[in-house]
Amino acid sequence: MHLKYESQLREPLVDGVKDYHQVTEDIVRPIEAKPSKLWYIGFFVSASCLLFGVYSVYREVTYGIGQWNLNKTIGWGWDITNFVWWVGIGHAGTLISAILLLFRQGWRTGVNRAAEAMTIFAVMCAGQFPIFHMGRVWMCFFIFPYPNTRGPVWPNFNSPLMWDVFAISTYFTVSLLFWYSGLIPDFGTVRDRAKTKLRKKLYGIASFGWVGSTKHWQRHEALSLVLAGLATPLVLSVHTIVSMDFATSVIPGWHTTIFPPYFVAGAIFSGFAMTQTLLVVIRKVFNLQEYITLGHVEAMNKVIVLTGSIVGCAYLTELFMGWYSQNKYEGYTFWYSRANLFSPYGWAYWGMMTCNVLSPQIFWFRKMRRNLFVTFFMSVIVNVGMWFERFVIIVTSLYRDYLPSSWAVYYHPSIWEIGFYLGTFGLFFTCFFLFSKYFPTIAIAEIKYILKTSGESFKAKVGSIEMQGVEEFASEHAHIDGHVVAGAHSH
Amino acid sequence: MEQNKHWQSFGELNNSEAFQIAGKDEFKQELPFEGAEDGGFFKTPTPRRDFLKYLGFSTAAAAIAASCEIPVKKSIPFANKPEDIVPGVSNYYATTFVQDGDVVSVLAKVRDGRPIKIEGNELSPITEGGTSARVQASVLELYDMARLRFPTMGGNEVTFEAADKGIAAALAGLGGAPVVVLTSTINSPTTLDAINQFIAKFPGSKHVQYDAVSYTGMLLANEATYGKRAIPSYRFENAKVIASIGADFLGTWLSPVEFTKQYAKGRKLEQKNPSLSRHFHFETVASLTGSNADERYLHKPSETGAIAAALLSAVKGQGVSGVSDKVKEGITKAAKELTANKGAALVVSGSNDVNIQIIVNAINEELQASGKTIDWSATVNYKLGIDKNLADLVADMNAGKVGALLVHGANPVYSWYDKDKVVSGLAKVKLSVSFSPKKDETAEHCTYIIPDSHYLESWGDAEPKAGFYSFIQPTIHPLFKTRQWQDSLLKWSGAATDYLTAFKTYWGAKLGGVAGWDKALQDGVATAAGTAITPAAGAFNASGVAGAISAAAGKKGGKYEVVLYQKVGIGAGQGTANPWLMEMPDPVTKATWDNYVIVSPKLALDVLKIDVQNAGQADAYEVNPPKKVLTVTVNGKSVKLPAVIIPGTEENTIGIAVGYGRSKNVGLAALTDEGDPIGQNAFPLASFNGSSVQYFGDADIKLEDDTYIVAMTQTHNVYTTPQGTRTEVMKEFTLNSFKKKPGQVLEDREHELKPWGGVDNFEKDGTIYPVYKKPGIHWGMSVDLNTCVGCGACVVACFAENNIPMVGKREVSRYHDMHWIRIDRYYSGDIDNPTVVFQPLMCQHCDNAPCENVCPVNATNHSSEGLNQMAYNRCIGTRYCANNCPYKVRRFNWADYTGADSFPHNQQGHISNVTMGMNEDLVRMVLNPDVTVRSRGVMEKCSFCVQRLQEGKLKAKKESRPLKTGENNEWDVKTACQQACPTNAIVFGDKNDSKSAVTVNRAENNERMFRVIEQLHTLPNVTYLAKVRNRDEEIVTEG
Repeated sequence: MHLKYESQLREPLVDGVKDYHQVTEDIVRPIEAKPSKLWYIGFFVSASCLLFGVYSVYREVTYGIGQWNLNKTIGWGWDITNFVWWVGIGHAGTLISAILLLFRQGWRTGVNRAAEAMTIFAVMCAGQFPIFHMGRVWMCFFIFPYPNTRGPVWPNFNSPLMWDVFAISTYFTVSLLFWYSGLIPDFGTVRDRAKTKLRKKLYGIASFGWVGSTKHWQRHEALSLVLAGLATPLVLSVHTIVSMDFATSVIPGWHTTIFPPYFVAGAIFSGFAMTQTLLVVIRKVFNLQEYITLGHVEAMNKVIVLTGSIVGCAYLTELFMGWYSQNKYEGYTFWYSRANLFSPYGWAYWGMMTCNVLSPQIFWFRKMRRNLFVTFFMSVIVNVGMWFERFVIIVTSLYRDYLPSSWAVYYHPSIWEIGFYLGTFGLFFTCFFLFSKYFPTIAIAEIKYILKTSGESFKAKVGSIEMQGVEEFASEHAHIDGHVVAGAHSH
Repeated sequence: MEQNKHWQSFGELNNSEAFQIAGKDEFKQELPFEGAEDGGFFKTPTPRRDFLKYLGFSTAAAAIAASCEIPVKKSIPFANKPEDIVPGVSNYYATTFVQDGDVVSVLAKVRDGRPIKIEGNELSPITEGGTSARVQASVLELYDMARLRFPTMGGNEVTFEAADKGIAAALAGLGGAPVVVLTSTINSPTTLDAINQFIAKFPGSKHVQYDAVSYTGMLLANEATYGKRAIPSYRFENAKVIASIGADFLGTWLSPVEFTKQYAKGRKLEQKNPSLSRHFHFETVASLTGSNADERYLHKPSETGAIAAALLSAVKGQGVSGVSDKVKEGITKAAKELTANKGAALVVSGSNDVNIQIIVNAINEELQASGKTIDWSATVNYKLGIDKNLADLVADMNAGKVGALLVHGANPVYSWYDKDKVVSGLAKVKLSVSFSPKKDETAEHCTYIIPDSHYLESWGDAEPKAGFYSFIQPTIHPLFKTRQWQDSLLKWSGAATDYLTAFKTYWGAKLGGVAGWDKALQDGVATAAGTAITPAAGAFNASGVAGAISAAAGKKGGKYEVVLYQKVGIGAGQGTANPWLMEMPDPVTKATWDNYVIVSPKLALDVLKIDVQNAGQADAYEVNPPKKVLTVTVNGKSVKLPAVIIPGTEENTIGIAVGYGRSKNVGLAALTDEGDPIGQNAFPLASFNGSSVQYFGDADIKLEDDTYIVAMTQTHNVYTTPQGTRTEVMKEFTLNSFKKKPGQVLEDREHELKPWGGVDNFEKDGTIYPVYKKPGIHWGMSVDLNTCVGCGACVVACFAENNIPMVGKREVSRYHDMHWIRIDRYYSGDIDNPTVVFQPLMCQHCDNAPCENVCPVNATNHSSEGLNQMAYNRCIGTRYCANNCPYKVRRFNWADYTGADSFPHNQQGHISNVTMGMNEDLVRMVLNPDVTVRSRGVMEKCSFCVQRLQEGKLKAKKESRPLKTGENNEWDVKTACQQACPTNAIVFGDKNDSKSAVTVNRAENNERMFRVIEQLHTLPNVTYLAKVRNRDEEIVTEG
């Protein structure tokens, strides 16, 4: 599975001195221990948010979309903004699991489980919005192509919303399968360690009778590869298709051919940021610093600065094209409705620019990449920025489109729109708290793969150098002519 | 052979007792329901098969129950079918809209016994089928919840018999004190007969006519100069040059439908031989007419006299003095044009000042208008009230000199400038009777209210002009215990006959027996024999002119002046209780539901501290419905209202609409959701100068530290942006420029479409998809922006035809209005006095519609006839179509506005009271049964009145002939907006028919034709004809 070549220079993926048993102990500990007070508080806060969200949705379904502040010009607002935002967040997990698996990136093992879980939950949250933004949600099944007696009437396969249904449901299914297939051996481990009958039974069911035979492993690995192969194009397709909701339309600011790559980059950007937000907390709370190392954090910060810069390029390209095309409608949307700070939604555009393009540049500095506080702060900022991006795309394009006569009054969310969004946070974190309590948050089996091959040499050779101060290192090396790395030729 | 014993178990081998029992009971289990007898149904064991049965049953039951979401309402067919009612087929009855002197001949569409729609009567020589928003909306007043349902005395219900007895006794006991019949203008000959008969019974009695917004100035001026206390007919169609000094003749002045029709004739542009009438307008506060003028000049209301005098002097060839420079320029220019077109020029004034009207008469005389553009052969009877008569009456009442007061139509407690005097006077009258259909402000102070029937329930007639008659016939039995007031008068005067008999006798004699009577009723109109068609002059007496000039000119106003004006929909308060009129955006301000003060951009800068030239401040003003509040004080009386900035208003003049601040009894529509009256009554700000009421005065204004939400349907008013002028949206230019470069629209379009094959190949080259032929009928519409005056009749006609829900102020302010057709209003040029263009916009029925592609469930799709159609019951409400509509004409049901929801009665408190009120059973009688009432959560939009198209196609099919859409002016199909339009700006028909009106219209005007944002390749089926102004300077429209 993993390349057995071991880099001399790469820092270890697992810190400290661990044996296989210790790994299991460390990761399963939160599952077997009683949850902490903090967990309870977090869980109940999340559940309350979820309940408020349920009530908000109840209001909207019972009394109509008029409970929200959308209007005849701005048909989508927070609903679809939040949808795209959550879908974006749901990108990192599968990217980490699938693409990095195919690229043999060993470091993914520390973070993939939680990232995948985040993906599943984020897609669940995202799915609420297209469903409940419908005026007649009780008729939502019309959207499925099922045989019917109405002619039959089929859905409109030309509609990007239709494509969304397939793209997101496929993505969700494959992500779920991938995530779960990875969980099976770990559930086996938890089951084997279980002390109560109930646990044994439940984890037994969850592990599908995993016994860890060679045949099981062989099939498991094959399945992982197949699913990774399936999931890889999905990572790119889902946000491509979501972007087509906008790109295929005629509205200035939506009708933009660079949307697919720009949306995918943005999605990975926000997904990694969300992963950071969660992992920085988890590693601390569950004492998993040795598995989710600063190296992991740094690697993800590199992805953030890369994708953030891609997104920044996209923003600038749009602005440039707004001018270069000499299309007055595009020009107005990009240069007045957005880039003009003093236009009604100028604040949203510059909020987006600041959060997404300017602030991640801090990660050009290694010190910053490895600073947990900066990482956490930036991960939140990035997701705020990405929310602004979707809001800017949706609302500032719609509110002033072709005919000046239909330009809208100022759109701001009603309490029930905010409540719905809050509710999805509730759903997300409720799920995440349950996950962190009942599921191994780090892939035990996969960590064990890399345990011995990911840094033993580094620890032995380079690690000591890493511990040295700069001057100490310099003075030591001043005495060894021509040798860059002490002990590099020692064997 | 010994049999080997085969056994399956030890039990069987040993044949134990237990085994025997088990064997005996092997198939013991009973049928499932048998256990029900002992222990009941719920105690029966439920094995697997039962479980499956129950599961199947309950799932099926749940599925059935869930699919019956809307209760079925059964209707019962006629046991004996009335001869003239065919279910599902409409009857049209010719009748007449009469309201406070306004007369419009109409047809009432009656469906299954219910009048549901008003259409113009094309046989009328006066209105020629034109209607106004108020006429269109009048059918809703029939079903008004606030109508009185029975006569009352002192607020308690009485029978007609008791009321008659009581009133007869009271009249008999007056002891010779005079009886006064106070009415708004009455122009019905038979009603006047009834009034005279009644008055004759009580010596010393009189009939006083009073108009809320009076034309006393004109009547008296004409008396002084022409010897007749009358108003002549105006012939705007004969005028090549029109100058109006504050007369809003397209909106509210005298007979707007008639004048709009006439005016439009001069505004129709023939491509081959282009010429237009020229319209100068001098005004104080932006009005509908001023917005349509070629040249508009702004002045203070106190300067009106000076302007009239200056114009007279200029027309006479003498100098212009006493007015500001800008106005002076206008007067010079206008006078030059007017004098150059003597005999084809017309000057009108909206002033109620006798002297000013005398000067205007002198100007017209100078222009030889009398006999050409002014017709004295047929004087008009729209407004006959003389203010002094009411002032005297009020004085008499307060002096206790009036025995009985019978009020019909007039509402002086509301509309007289000195309301308190009227109230105190009424208290001193021994018998007061109101015939008001509602408990209005005056009726509240009357002892008896004998509600009059609605005109659609009544017989009657009207003589809008001398010799021209229009008839009223009932279209429905009176809904409530109401009685025509003429019947009451006749009864109380002891006449032997009722009104219908008197009416029949009167007209039977005049119209030449039964045949003539039938024809007149069928046509709805008749003309007296020998009525002149050619205009006649009046004999002018110039003796009073010099005195008038010195009296009128030279008046000085204060720093700020206020003008009271009427809104097109609301009038003097007639429309305040009508939800259709309240929700119709005011053509000038685009505001709905509310009363506000109109201020100029300059005053906004000075007082409101809003600089509309500053993009940021202008944006903030536009996108936020709460507007700053001003207190305006005139003569010590003040109103506190939000301020709306309307360019085209004189710098320091403020406009306040009358008609608001109504009593709580006139209907929900006149009230806010909190139950307070909407707006404030501005009539008390008027003043009386001894002969007529003046609707302006000096004002003090104060900015309050407060805001108030004004619900507007359009907030941004210019199509120029920092990134260029959106000429694809609107094309307008001047007549001179059109003459010089007739092909400029085509050139523009050619330029816009150049990257995609130019105008000719655009359909094919603008897309990667193949282009298909579109055989058969293909519906198309052409809208002439040159004749459209923006009056809003089409908007209200659409409300009525298509069951458009009225969403109320709160929802409109949230931009949730549901109008299928809107009239966009754009300004261009000078910010203080811009030119204005109106553009009616409905669904463009694009042949390549962006909305159709994006609907995930195919709820909106294209018909083979080019219609973009909505399947409401397929719609799931994703709103994607509305987002992707570049014209933003799609409307979403944000709440259950219509009461058609699957969740009944869940909207209380979530939508306006007035919307709830529209769903009362009584009000729902106005719904058009051919049009689905849309439920919550679905998208809707203009359907090109598909129900009318189907009806028209069916008619042609039944008669085995091709459909006619305007060939030789024969029509099988007209959309509601087209039918209502008083200017025939909207033409609709089959664009595949080379002879249809729409094809001809497009071909004849191909140099002005354009499609809105055509370059998007939406291929709309609605085309527009560019606006051409008869102005001097050229308007630059290059983007």
